[in-house]
Amino acid sequence: MRTGRANPWVLLAALTLGALGPACEPSGASKGDDVLTLGAYSVVREAFHDGLLPAFAKVWHAKTGHVVRFEESYNGSGAQARAIASGFDADVAVLSLESDMDALVKAGLVKEDWNAGPDRGNVTNSLVVIGYRDGNPKGLRDWPDLARPGVAVLYPDPKTSGGARWNIAAIWGAGLLSGEGGSQKPEAARDLLARVQANVVNMDGSGRQSLATFERGTGDAVVTYENELLLRRKYGKAPIPYATPEATLRIESPAALVETSVARHGNREVAEAFLAFLRSDQGQAILAEYGFRPVNPQLEVAGLPSMPAKLFTIRDLGGWPAVKKTVFDAGGAWASTFTRRAGGK
Amino acid sequence: MPAHPPSTPALVLRASTLAYLGVMVVLPLTALAIQATGAGPSSFVKAVLDPFAWHALKLTFATAGVMVAMNAVMGTATAWVLVRYDFPGKGLMNALIDLPFAVPTVVTGLMLVALYGPSSVLGTILGRAGLAVIYQQPGIVLALLFVTYPFVIRSVQPVLMEIDRGEEEAAATLGAKPWTIFRRVTFPTLYPSILTGTALAFSRALGEFGSVVMVAGNRPLETKTGPMYVFGEIESGNRYPAMVVSAVLLASSLAILIALNLIQRRRGGEHGE
Repeated sequence: MRTGRANPWVLLAALTLGALGPACEPSGASKGDDVLTLGAYSVVREAFHDGLLPAFAKVWHAKTGHVVRFEESYNGSGAQARAIASGFDADVAVLSLESDMDALVKAGLVKEDWNAGPDRGNVTNSLVVIGYRDGNPKGLRDWPDLARPGVAVLYPDPKTSGGARWNIAAIWGAGLLSGEGGSQKPEAARDLLARVQANVVNMDGSGRQSLATFERGTGDAVVTYENELLLRRKYGKAPIPYATPEATLRIESPAALVETSVARHGNREVAEAFLAFLRSDQGQAILAEYGFRPVNPQLEVAGLPSMPAKLFTIRDLGGWPAVKKTVFDAGGAWASTFTRRAGGK
Repeated sequence: MPAHPPSTPALVLRASTLAYLGVMVVLPLTALAIQATGAGPSSFVKAVLDPFAWHALKLTFATAGVMVAMNAVMGTATAWVLVRYDFPGKGLMNALIDLPFAVPTVVTGLMLVALYGPSSVLGTILGRAGLAVIYQQPGIVLALLFVTYPFVIRSVQPVLMEIDRGEEEAAATLGAKPWTIFRRVTFPTLYPSILTGTALAFSRALGEFGSVVMVAGNRPLETKTGPMYVFGEIESGNRYPAMVVSAVLLASSLAILIALNLIQRRRGGEHGE
């Protein structure tokens, strides 16, 4: 395996995570135990730690008689992918975006056909939505409402948050696909994004921090994942009401086997069983309890708002590599909202 | 200098402190310098002149500059009050001054947001007056003022305590007004310590992240400072621009500290030390 130059930042992060992960677990592993190392992004922490992992342990014990012990690490999706790429030996990677998983494919850690299945490698779905204040005093329903003067908007910084990339791609995509009969309107997309961005008051480091800022009273609207808002109900936190825009993006987050780790640990069987469990009806029902939409369209979840009329996916926008180039890279739609504004002053 | 060669323990002590400095400070900084300059001068200049990096650097220096100007005046005044006057609560005031060093910088930021943020009472009043502080550039200066509060005071205070009051009294006897005495007699003795305090505060401010990230708003080309730019680029996998901006911040700090050292040495020479 060639991983190229080791990245010292990431090595340090991986070492810290490696040290922290097992330290949180009781270290009474006996020889018959299966150990599964999980490298996940931070948003799924509750669903995995409190829901999926205990449920899978039961299923696995009933099936094989083995006790499975988890070593868990949760981090921002990009940081987690970089940690795994530079040596953190997670058996299963659960990341926020396909492009983070692609980094692991490039590093030779994940098989190239990891996303060949009917769910394209994804284990969770969610929607990009608009959280607002109780009673919706500013009457926020759709993206153009966030572009109105005097509306204070929050979403995190796409430089540090995978969540922010989903949020911004949703706003941009809604503008892009607003044309009649499927024609693309890049100018409308650019304009919508620039006007919403002009209303953004604070760009936190992560989606969770952005929600915390909103809770502390800043902003009229917070653009976030639907599952983050649904999760609050489960944990008895003050609910944040939300609107699902007419056109919004489906958030699809993947999971995959890290081949090199599994080969080293010799735990392919339990790792594959765990991945299958995530996609099973039972696994998907648990994820739904924690606010996610199932990846299997046949699975119905009661009590969720109906799907938006014009739901689109990242593939409708050309896929992540294209969106990265046309939106986030230098000269892209998001980056140029700032340079254009600065130039106009 | 003694003529005889230094003893073995003295040599061991010297070597070990030098090695300690090397491992703790010089080695990491050298690694950074090598990574930042490895791609050659033209890529380095290009990375510095990137509009986002350049703005972040300018903002860092500008906010640190405003902070330093305020600190130089208020820090000197505070030291003056602490040394020259006696009043109830002086002991407490003296103890409070160092407290900003003990507060985790993220907590500092959080505190300032709670106090001056758009949803606070004070923030609402300021916002109506068009003087929004938090998530704007003044918020950055406010955070820097808090985290660098003790520097000037603690560097001026001991000098002020040591000052020979006889010179001031002589000037007063000769009919000089208090302001003239301060300007002509006291200030020339004080200014190197004011300079030391402000230079340390400036260096500290160039790298400040924890408090600023909470209050700045983090908007590129508006309120994103150098250290925040560095963090964002590292998190999105662009290590090189992050290294370059860090190197610029570090080199500026180093230049300031060296200049300070030179000024102090020259001054030491004047006094025949």
